[in-house]
Amino acid sequence: MTTLDRANPPGSGTLRSFDFPAVERRELPSGLDLRVAIMNRLPMVSLNLFLRAGEAALEPQVAGLAVLTADALEGGTRGRDGAELAEALEGIGARVSANGGWEGTSVALSCLAERLPEALSILSEMVLAPAFPPTEVDRAREQQLASIRQRAMDPASLATDTAQARYFDPEVPYARAVDGTVASIEAMTPATMLGFAEANYRPSSSGLVVVGDVDPGEVRAMAAEHLGAWEGAPANRADFTAAPRTRDRTVTLVHRPGAAQSEIRVGHVGAARSIPEYYPLSIANMVLGGMFTSRLNLNLREQNGFTYGVRSRFTFRMQAGPFQISTAVGNDVTAPALEQIMLELGRMAEDGPSSEEVEAARDYAAGVFGLQIETARQVATRVTQLVVYDLPDDHFDRYRDVVRAVTREEATDAASRYIRPDEAQIVVVGDAEVVGEPLRALGLGGVEVVDG
Amino acid sequence: MPSLSIPFERHRLDNGLRVVLAPDRTIPVVATNLWYGVGSRNEPKGKTGFAHLFEHMMFQGSAHVPKNKHFEMIERVGGASNATTWFDRTNYFETVPSHQLELTLWLESDRMGWMLPAMDQEKLDNQRDVVKNEKRQRYDNQPYGDWSERLQRLVYPEDHPYHHTVIGSMEDIEAATLDDVASFFRTFYVPDNAVITLAGDIDPAGALEQVKRYFGDIEPGGPIPSIPGNADVAPLIGRTLRDHVRADVPLPRIIMGFRTPSYASDDFAVAEVARALLGVGRASRLYRRLVRERRVARGVVSYVFPLLSGASMFLVWATGYPDGSPAELEAALSEEIAALADARQSEIDRAIALVETDLVRSMERVADRADLLSMFELYFDDPDRINKELDRLRAVRVEQVRTFTRERLGEENRAVVVFEPESSR
Repeated sequence: MTTLDRANPPGSGTLRSFDFPAVERRELPSGLDLRVAIMNRLPMVSLNLFLRAGEAALEPQVAGLAVLTADALEGGTRGRDGAELAEALEGIGARVSANGGWEGTSVALSCLAERLPEALSILSEMVLAPAFPPTEVDRAREQQLASIRQRAMDPASLATDTAQARYFDPEVPYARAVDGTVASIEAMTPATMLGFAEANYRPSSSGLVVVGDVDPGEVRAMAAEHLGAWEGAPANRADFTAAPRTRDRTVTLVHRPGAAQSEIRVGHVGAARSIPEYYPLSIANMVLGGMFTSRLNLNLREQNGFTYGVRSRFTFRMQAGPFQISTAVGNDVTAPALEQIMLELGRMAEDGPSSEEVEAARDYAAGVFGLQIETARQVATRVTQLVVYDLPDDHFDRYRDVVRAVTREEATDAASRYIRPDEAQIVVVGDAEVVGEPLRALGLGGVEVVDG
Repeated sequence: MPSLSIPFERHRLDNGLRVVLAPDRTIPVVATNLWYGVGSRNEPKGKTGFAHLFEHMMFQGSAHVPKNKHFEMIERVGGASNATTWFDRTNYFETVPSHQLELTLWLESDRMGWMLPAMDQEKLDNQRDVVKNEKRQRYDNQPYGDWSERLQRLVYPEDHPYHHTVIGSMEDIEAATLDDVASFFRTFYVPDNAVITLAGDIDPAGALEQVKRYFGDIEPGGPIPSIPGNADVAPLIGRTLRDHVRADVPLPRIIMGFRTPSYASDDFAVAEVARALLGVGRASRLYRRLVRERRVARGVVSYVFPLLSGASMFLVWATGYPDGSPAELEAALSEEIAALADARQSEIDRAIALVETDLVRSMERVADRADLLSMFELYFDDPDRINKELDRLRAVRVEQVRTFTRERLGEENRAVVVFEPESSR
């Protein structure tokens, strides 16, 4: 054995190439986009039924309807009540969850592969023949109301919700919380939900993604059997552009007397998933606050000890979602932390990342991709993105090469256009008595104090 | 019924380091996972929170690895890295593309063997601040954030190693010195108090050579001091202990803890099955009865802490509705727990089916697989337990669940923490 040189990190071995699992694509006559990928190292299957029934297509009076309807799907079908449905699914070891979001509703299922035929049959029944019995609707509604109330009292959620409303024009759905308001939820009835599901749980432009230890031919046959007679297109369609509420910088201080620390959000309207600069902008954001070794985290956490962690993020949606920096810091360092955040934001917008930083972020993004497609659920989620955002079939096959090709110039250009410190909306949830004066002294603009 | 068979091999280096190798070459990713036999239970009075603070210090560099380079190097190759501290152990892990395996061995061996030369006061002060922020963010500024602290105080007597939390007291953290760091390191961070598992895209023979190369020349430690305090507790708390908290929380919440046989005991499986009947899945008793039918709870949770020293903790909680009465919620929860004394076999079948799916899914990621293997090796000298988990649970008979309910989940073995919202803001 040669003597070990500990002073320097070891060189790497040879990169083993591997491919994103091959996805077989087939459109059913109804327009349902069926995609099947084989992953057979474990006897598992994960499935996603994506329905284009999302919050972004809803008027403000019915905000939260897609979320609530998805939650209430477990309430039963025309053939079995909620308890029977749960028994049937869990008796075969199937885990099902339904979630409403901005772009649509996802019904996810995981089970042992040998149980897929029964599981898909029950899942189809849930979506095609939901019953929304009044007691179950009451339960789902009370749960959602409690959750809305809980969010208002949780400093982190309160900060995020307040910030969304500062970023977007009030007409834009993204300005509101995805699960609606007390008023909109209280007004919902079983009939509203049944109407929503019948009008919007439709196969055209929706997708069924199946990943695991399966035979694509058998999956096709199963899908045809259970979903073949289903037809139509969703009635509600999103129609808006994500305009900002203002282009002026504002500072909002949500007063919570006696808060143990301050929750900080800084952001503005970000970018849509479809922008051509998707990759360079993602790389720029990684350098700013998208990794542990990002500028923001090294500055605020490692150098200054202001926080347990800080991150920045572009949430890419059909329309421009938010760009946001989030952190929580001690009361006494609230102003200094915000000062550093604005400094880093300005540096990134002005000069972009360095070549070394771009290289590091590229290596990270390309390398971590392998870790993100280990499980059937992870792969199913990714393949679903192809359906949701209408991305090319070979998107994930090319992912690592495309990421590796991003240049410093492209990242700098994207940062300068999509990161705009002068338009930043700053929200602090904390004790105004303690942090108010230092915040004003920063000179970022007038500080509007509101009650939390 | 497909049965799991995760292949692995075990080795022990001359310095006592235990090695588990679990090849699976389907995806070119490898998980490196170390478990050290030290956690918050090893902290004496006045040093609470130190094991966790020390875990932070392990990322502050070592003789050949500059401060912050650990995360940077792992991120640079597209890997993920972190660590967690718990009652009985501390774990450190990296997942990387498999051609970068050696990097993880270099980083982990350097801090196992040569951490102290890199320590200084400034790093300690900085990480003390980070930990204090972590406590503020995750415990103090969170509704219900102190539930665990309150519950542990009730379930375990004052001299028991699980009486205090992992995050510890900030006064104790404040008092920590560089000498504490050095002596903790020399005592606990030694190869004969650790397990390393490599799972994923490895060639076992080559991987073992690499582990020997990087870890083989680290000196073994002395005897591990016995756990401070007194881990022997009576099997039951003896009565119902209560902590009624009026706080700035959005919803009432009842949290109940029960002393339960240790994770090392055969009876622990009974607790796990009872827990699944009560709260795993939507056909579980608490969800069906409290959430769906009676609608007194918005959500329910059941859990068993897998703890080794003296007694584990069986945990059930229910979150109510804004206008609901905490007393009624508690009464309803007590009733449903007591009713488990008539558990049926069909319920066990359902719960086992669901647990099986969860178990298979937990094998999908090599990082999770490695973590389980390390745990089973460190705790039980038996990594093959990973392949026997389901049999262990399937062996539980309905009579045992009924007896467990009567003996362990009654009023004479109960700690209750009630969170009641302060009059609405």
